[in-house]
Parts: sequence; structure tokens; C-alpha cells
Amino acid sequence: MSSKLVDRLLDLSINRRRWVYWGLLIITLAFVAQLPHIQIDTDPENMLLADNPARVFHNQAKQTFAMHDAIVVGVVNQQGIYNPQTLAALIAQTDYASQLDGVIPADMMSLANVDNISQGEPGTIRFEWMMKTPPADITQAKLIEENIRRLPMLLNTLVSEDGKAAALYVPIKDKNQSYAIAKALDSHIQTLDSQDEWHITGLPVAEDRFGYEMFVQMGISAPLAGLTIFVLLFVFFRNVPFIAAPMILAMATVLITMGLLIGMGFTVHIMSSMIAIFLMPIAVVDSVHILSEFADRYRQNGDAKAVIRQVMGHLFTPMLFTSITSTVGFLSLMLTPIPPVQIFGAFVGFGIMLAFALTVVFIPAYLSGLSPKTLEKFSSSLPDESKSWLTPALYRLGKLANSHARLWLLGFAGLFAVSVYGISLIQINDNPVRWFKADHELRIADKVLNSHFAGTYNAFLVLKDSNDWQAEVQQTLQDTAPRLSADSQAFLQTQHEALSQGQSLTELVLALDDYSFNAAGKDSEVLLELISTLETLQSQSKTFLSPEMLNYMVRLQDHLASTGLVGKSNSLADIVKTVNRELFSGKDEDFCLPGSSDAIAQTLLQYQSSHRPQDLWHFVTPDYRQSLIWLQLTSGDNQDMTAVMDKVADYLDANPLPPGLTMDWAGKAYLNVIWQKEMVAGMLNSLISAFVTVMLMMMLLFRSFWFGLLAMLPLTLTISFIYGLIGLVGKDYDMPIAVLSALTLGLSVDFAIHFIERLRATYAQYRDWHKTLEVMFEEPARAISRNAIVIAMGFTPLLFAPLVPYITVGVFLASIMAISALVTLLVLPSAMTLLKSRLFKTNAA
Amino acid sequence: MKRQIRLALLMTLPTIFAGTAMAQMSATEIVKKAELAAYYAGDDGRSAARMLITDAQGRKQMRQFIILRKDQSDGGSQDMLVFFSRPADVKDTVFRVVKHTDKDDDRWLYLPGLDLVKRISAGDKRTSFVGSHFFYEDVSGRNTEQDNFTLLSETDSAYVLEGKPKDPSSVEFTRYEVTIDKENFLPTQIRFFNAQDQEYRHVEALKIETIQGHPTVTHSKVEDLINGGSTEMQFRFISYDLGLPEDIFTERSLRTPPRQWLDLKD
Repeated sequence: MSSKLVDRLLDLSINRRRWVYWGLLIITLAFVAQLPHIQIDTDPENMLLADNPARVFHNQAKQTFAMHDAIVVGVVNQQGIYNPQTLAALIAQTDYASQLDGVIPADMMSLANVDNISQGEPGTIRFEWMMKTPPADITQAKLIEENIRRLPMLLNTLVSEDGKAAALYVPIKDKNQSYAIAKALDSHIQTLDSQDEWHITGLPVAEDRFGYEMFVQMGISAPLAGLTIFVLLFVFFRNVPFIAAPMILAMATVLITMGLLIGMGFTVHIMSSMIAIFLMPIAVVDSVHILSEFADRYRQNGDAKAVIRQVMGHLFTPMLFTSITSTVGFLSLMLTPIPPVQIFGAFVGFGIMLAFALTVVFIPAYLSGLSPKTLEKFSSSLPDESKSWLTPALYRLGKLANSHARLWLLGFAGLFAVSVYGISLIQINDNPVRWFKADHELRIADKVLNSHFAGTYNAFLVLKDSNDWQAEVQQTLQDTAPRLSADSQAFLQTQHEALSQGQSLTELVLALDDYSFNAAGKDSEVLLELISTLETLQSQSKTFLSPEMLNYMVRLQDHLASTGLVGKSNSLADIVKTVNRELFSGKDEDFCLPGSSDAIAQTLLQYQSSHRPQDLWHFVTPDYRQSLIWLQLTSGDNQDMTAVMDKVADYLDANPLPPGLTMDWAGKAYLNVIWQKEMVAGMLNSLISAFVTVMLMMMLLFRSFWFGLLAMLPLTLTISFIYGLIGLVGKDYDMPIAVLSALTLGLSVDFAIHFIERLRATYAQYRDWHKTLEVMFEEPARAISRNAIVIAMGFTPLLFAPLVPYITVGVFLASIMAISALVTLLVLPSAMTLLKSRLFKTNAA
Repeated sequence: MKRQIRLALLMTLPTIFAGTAMAQMSATEIVKKAELAAYYAGDDGRSAARMLITDAQGRKQMRQFIILRKDQSDGGSQDMLVFFSRPADVKDTVFRVVKHTDKDDDRWLYLPGLDLVKRISAGDKRTSFVGSHFFYEDVSGRNTEQDNFTLLSETDSAYVLEGKPKDPSSVEFTRYEVTIDKENFLPTQIRFFNAQDQEYRHVEALKIETIQGHPTVTHSKVEDLINGGSTEMQFRFISYDLGLPEDIFTERSLRTPPRQWLDLKD
């Protein structure tokens, strides 16, 4: 195939070596120049497209209810935090945090800046700072405990139920500042001389740490992978100048690809941070084939240029196909609607084709340019293949594969059945906090704080009344107009228009009120009547002042509490009940909702007479048509969040909302579930389409339906085996595991391609099945094993990475490569033995 | 020789100070005069107030109420009643305040929806006035005895004074600067500063009208400079010296408002 093209390419690379070297150097440098523009993206929200409806709604809800991303500072004291020293430290820390740049002081929350609502002297209600100054003694400290225990909104949010932990929530304007703020908070803690245990956590901090760990990974794991590959190549070929070629190639591939990614303005996300470590082993695989064959043949025929022509003519097509299949595997990731996964797929795909192009141009140029002396040294230092441990091992493997074909196939069929059962057990679950190792300070903080509090993971239920209040208002305006003078009619018309353009009912009443004072006698009366009608309509439009709605929310919250899945929920109803209690007796029997909307509005007017009136707007909008229930969860596992979502859905089915009202989810815990769902569904798409594409390519390559099918057999077995194992051992199916399915397919089919290609060539030569298999377990099996080892070992440096997803990828890819090479060598001979007649008859024809 | 000069200086200093004090009023005197102008005009007064509260996101709320005031003595105790009329759901909510200069104010509250009269415990007066950016203290007037004043600067038209709290732990500011108009002695601007000496709260008189001979702030605005949001307060239908009877400033008026004094059309 295309031998003319290959020849022309070789002419170019062998005769114009300088051009090739300089060209590669200049291109590489041009892309390296882009690297300093790197932008790290650690926001898990970006797993969803910017216009994803769930994400848009989430951000809208955050804005509407002023729910900012917050750093959580926790202080723990096993003897209890209600002592003067701990509380003084908490005040100092709160004061310090409130003056930091980038912090939103109004929404900061700790014991030191919230209000206590209580009964003062008998018959009085009192609003005062919960703890403006440190308590002087234990008695005063205990008084604070008594107060906080009476305020359900604060208990278990600001202080734990067990009294051993207190929290300070530091909302921040911009997530990118969180590292600096967290660091400042931490260094201030050091100056406090506090005997307590302090923790800093919260999603913004986690994200920042994540970005940092990503750099560590890229800075350590990727070079380490390069080193591993170098050592392996040295073991295989024992000659540094010789193996310098694939190393240069791998470096150039990685640098150009990353330079392109950054130069095109893409951010480096957790996925794309792994591009280097993926490309390095894949980039050298083709070179390993060329070097292997070159070494073998150079010993027989001393002319480097002739040998390289021979080798390239022979390997060009299988290399092209293995590159394309790998690329297909990665490009299939673009079918998953997760932007970072798409970018990763696209650029690794690009990198593989680039590596192929560089391999066919650069490696021949490099090899033909080596001095005869170097080549001489190389050929004499090559280890004797028959003496390596690999050769006898493969020989025995060949023997095994060659006998008991039926038994092997039966065994694999059994394994496949078990794997399918294992796959059915797979638990889909993820939690970005668990991307950190169990001993990471953030994981520890997460564990400690969630064991004390009602939960640091947030989800929001947003209730909204979408019924149209405007129509009735407009109608009232229209009905009133004829009773007014021409001037007033014109005024009403302008208001009518303003209303359609989004003016609020409050503003309309204000405008009418102003106008009515200057209006003539009769108009004034009509307008006052109109204002009164509009005010009634306005009161009616305030859905979340109605006792019925608040009671609905209370019942839903009770239901959530009864499931045991939710640490705590906070809503407008809790505020109203608390203030109502303090307005009356202060006793538990008055912890209830008043019976009318007006009474609720007046209760809230009291709540707003505190130091923090704006806190009300976290739970309801000023027009009282949207309300938020804040759920605190002790687990950020998607599985747990999904369970809560199911419970809420069931509750809604059994207790439908009034017509026109909707309830939607927001919050990080919810968004994680959404992108995971999209990921799982998208991955299935990717996997299926990659499978079909690769299978069609195999049939095309081998020009045979059966060979095509056969080529897919080893990787099918391997992938189902690995996923079956994940199901059986109960490891969660998370982001990295999901991503790997499609791309391992593209990588592991390589072994089958090389095996079948060589087997057919060998069989054509010997026309004897047993002899063919014997030969196959010599050099061809060695080349496959070498490649498997290179790729598998190339990924092992990920085991030393600081983040769990990297480790998962490392373990998973290394084992899938090793297993699929083994399965290829075992299952293909066995299956072919049985299908021999069919395979080679069609082939012969 | 040196000693003599120092002595001479010491001798002259008191005379210099005495000279300036005579030419100008002392800071405390200015503040006292401003307090009278701002909070004690006439012997009694009535006005219809309207507050427009705008939050950091630009969302608006309205509060409308009528204030009745009667001075027990100029610069001394005052009786006040605040009757809410808007929004409709808080209509007929009433506050009753007896302001004292020598002790904590007495405050009562009537909530019609709950049919509840409740006494509000003294406590902190720097809490929000019904959800606005004004504090209770802004409405009733901060006791001038609580701060130490110094004159920062003076122009042809205004004094700028600095107030520092005598008990810093009782308030959220460390100091404030108040601009007082020389002509009418009304405070036209107050700037509050926090511990970082950053201005975080700004109160300004936007409009001053003379009513029955009393210069009166009829439109003012307070802004939260750190978190955003502001409240505008407008006063209309202001009248002084109505001869409000003493007996309406009682608990009875909470449940049964004195309608004849609340009708603005007379």
C-alpha cells in the first residue's frame, strides 16, 4: 500500500536530514513559546458546558439568593468550644477575615457576627450580637451555648450539636483569590496562640489545591514517565544514541501538542494535564517497532539506509493503522458532552497522529544519519534475545496457547460471563473531594467537620411561583383608565409600558403614589382606589408569605429529615418559627408558623430589624415569589445526593406543588450529579462509536470480516474483565474510570493488529499452522510484549501522583495494557486455531 | 535662656486657645446645636416618610409610615409614634418610642397580624430599621453624649467634625466625620470609618427645605459602601407645632391609632 508515497517520504527524510532536524527544532520551539501562557482550570463546574441549563440555573440561584462560594474555617476542641479562649480566638479570626480583600463581610457567618434573638426582660424581645466581645468566663461562655441551642438556623451550622466544633464561613467574591485568602487565614491562625485544632476547607480551597497538585503532577509524573521509558528502552537496546531518537520524538510531540493547546487558548483542566503522560509512551511505541526491526535486520545487512527503507516499507501500514485506531479511541471522547474530556480527546488524538508523522520522518533521518561506528557499537552491544527472560517466557506462553485451544476459549468465555455479572454490579459514584488522597489535609478537614456538623456539602431546592401576576395588574390599569382625565390616562399608559418592560409592582405603586398627590380632586380618589387594589394584588402575589406554602416547605423538610440522608435543612419557615417563638412566650409551644400572610410579613419585618437584615434574602426574594431551602449534607458522594434527589422527587409525586409552582435543584452537590450523569451516558456513546469505528477499520485493514471481528476479541475481553473486576470489588465508577473505557479500546487494539498482520505474513510464508505459531512467539510476540511493557510502565509514574484520579488512571491503564497484551497472545491463537479453516480459506480466496 | 523661651511659650499658649474658642464654637457646642436642628425642630411634628430600600442587586422594597413626635423638652426626652401604612401586609404595625438622653430608650411594638403588643428590649440601637440601611439610632438620633468630638476643618459654609465613640466596643465604627452646615446647623453628610479607616457607610442629606421656618432634611440617603445597597428616605407633609396631645403617646395608640392626627389631607 502506498509504497510510492513511503518511498518519497524516505527520500526526503534520508537525503534532507538537516531540513528535518532544523524543521523539528523550529516547530517545537515555536510551540514551546506558547507554554508560559498556560491557564489552569480547576473548577468542577466546567465539567458542564457554559450554557448547560442546570449550570445556568445553579448560577442564577446563587446570584438571586446571594449564596457565595465560601471558605470554611473550623475550630475543634474536644473539651468543647464554649470556653473563653476558644471563643476569643474565633472572634479574632472572624475580625481578621472580615477585613481581608476579596471577602464579602456582610455574608460572613460565625458566632462572632450573627444576632441572637431572644427574650430580654419578661415580655420583651431582644436583638443583639451573639458574641460581640469574648466571654469573660466559663459561665458567660455557657450562656452563649444556651442561646445558640435555641436558634435552629445556627445550631449545627455555626456550632456543632456536640459543642465541640465551631465554624466560620468566609464567602469570597472570586474563586481565584481563595488560595491567597486561605493562606492568609491560615497564617493568622498561627498567630492566635490557640490550643484548639483548626481546619480550613471548602470547595474554593479544594479547587485551588487541586490546581497546585496538577502542576506537581505535570512537573513530576511526566518527566518520571520519560525517565521510565528511557530506562526501558535502554534495557531493550543498550545504546544511548540509538534510543535518543524516540526520546526526542516523544518530547517534541508532547511540547508541540501542549503548546498548541495552550496557544489556542484552551485551559489546562485535570484531564488535559494528563496529556503529556499519555502521549509519551504512545509516541515511542511506533519507534520501538522500527528500532526492533532495524536492529534485527542491521545485523544481517550492514547498510543502514537500505535497512531503514526495508523496515519502513514493512511497518508503515500497520503503524498508520495502529495510530489511527488509537486516535479514533481518543477522538471518540469528543462525543461525551464534557468539555475538558473533549479537549483531552481531541489533543491526544492530534498528538498521536503527530507522533506518527514525526516517526516516519524523523526516525529514518536520525537512523540513517548515525555514523557507521555508532551503529557498529550498537549492533555488537545488542543483548542476545535468546538469553533474555522474555524469550523463554514467551516460548512457554506460545506452547500453552498452542495446546488446549478449546479449554482456553472456554476459560475466557467463563471469565467473560463473570465479568458481565461484575459489570452489572458497578456503582456509579464520584466526589471531587475524594480526588485528594485520604491523608490529605483537605480530606481530613472534610472528615472532621462533617463528623461534627450537619454537613459541609450544599444543595439548594429553589421553589418558584411562575404564575403571571402582570396580566391581572395590566387589566386593572386598563379598567381604571376610562375613569381618569386625559393627563392621568397618559400617565397610566406610560406605567403600563414600564410594567411590560420589567418594572416591579413596588415601583408601580410608588409612581402612582407620587402622581396621586399632584392629581386633581377626582383623579386623586380614583388613583387611591387603584393603588389600594394594586396593593391587594401585590400582597396576593407574595406566594412565600402564605402559611400554606411555608407549611408545605416545613412538611418537605420534615420528610427530608426523616430520610436520614440530609444533615439539616434551613428555610424561610425556620426563620419565621424562631422569630414567632421569641415574639410570644419564647417557649417551644410557640415555635410555629403564624396563621396569616400578614402575620408572617410582620414577623419578618422584625427579623429584618436585626444587625443582618440581608440574611432574609438567602431564603426568599424581595418579591416573595422565589424561595430557597438550603440542604446541608455530610457526604458529597453523588450516590448520596442522588438518593436525596429521589426522595424529593417521590415526595413531589405524592404531594404535588400548587399549580404554577416549580421546584428545581441547585448547589454544587447537585451539579456534580448532573455532570456525572452526562459523563456516563456520553461515555457509553463514545465507547460504542469507538468500538464500531475501530471494528470497521479492522475489517478494512484485513479485508476480512472474520479477521476484523477477531481483532476486537482481545480488547473486548480485557475491557469487560477490568470493568467486571471494578464491579466485583466494589470500586466506584468515577470520572477517571469512565473516561478510560473508550481510549483503552484504541490503545489495546494495536496488539491485535500487529499480531494478526504478522501471523498472516508468517502463515503465507510457511503454510503450516504449528510452525507459524511457533514463529509468532519469537520476534513478533517480543515486539508486542515490549510495547505492552513500555506503555504499561510509562503510566506507572502516575502512581506517585498526589491526586487519586491520576493514580486510578495509572493503575487502570498499566493493568489494561498488560492484560490486553497477554489476552491477545492467548486468545487470538486459540480462536484462530478453531476458526482456521474459515479464516484462511477466505484469506486465500 | 532656653528655659526662658519655653516659659514664655507656656504663658502664651492658653491665650491662643482662648482666642480661637471665642472666635469659633467648640466642637461640642456645634454638635449640640446640630442635634437640636435635626431632631428637635418645633415642639412637636408630623411627617409622612417613605423609604426605598435598594439591595446590592438593585432589587427594591418600599416602606411607608407616618411619624408623630412630641418633645418633652428641647434636647431632652421625646415621645414618638411610627405608624406603618405600606407595604399592605405590614399596614397598622406601630412603633412607640420614648427617647431619653440620660438612659436607654423605651420601645414598644404592635403587630396587628399577631394582635401582639410587645416591648422591645433596650439592647443595641445600631440594628437595621425595618430592613433598611438606616439604623434605629439614625431615626431617633444618636445621643451626642456617647461620642467625643473634635473639629477637623471649617470652610465658609460648613464645619467638619470628627466623632469618636467613648465606648468603642458598643459600635461597629471607629470614628465618623460629620459635615454640618453653618447656616442651618443641619448635618449634611456623615462618613463612617471602620477599623481599617476605610469609609464603609455614608449618610447624606439630599434635599433641605424650610418648613414653618425650620430648615428640614426632606430627602436623605444612606449607602453601604462595602456590600452595596442603599436606602433613600423622603419626608412629605411635614408640619410642626400641631399641638399634638400628650395622651396619644401611650400604649392605647398602638392598637387604636389616633386617626385625626394621621390624616395628611388637613
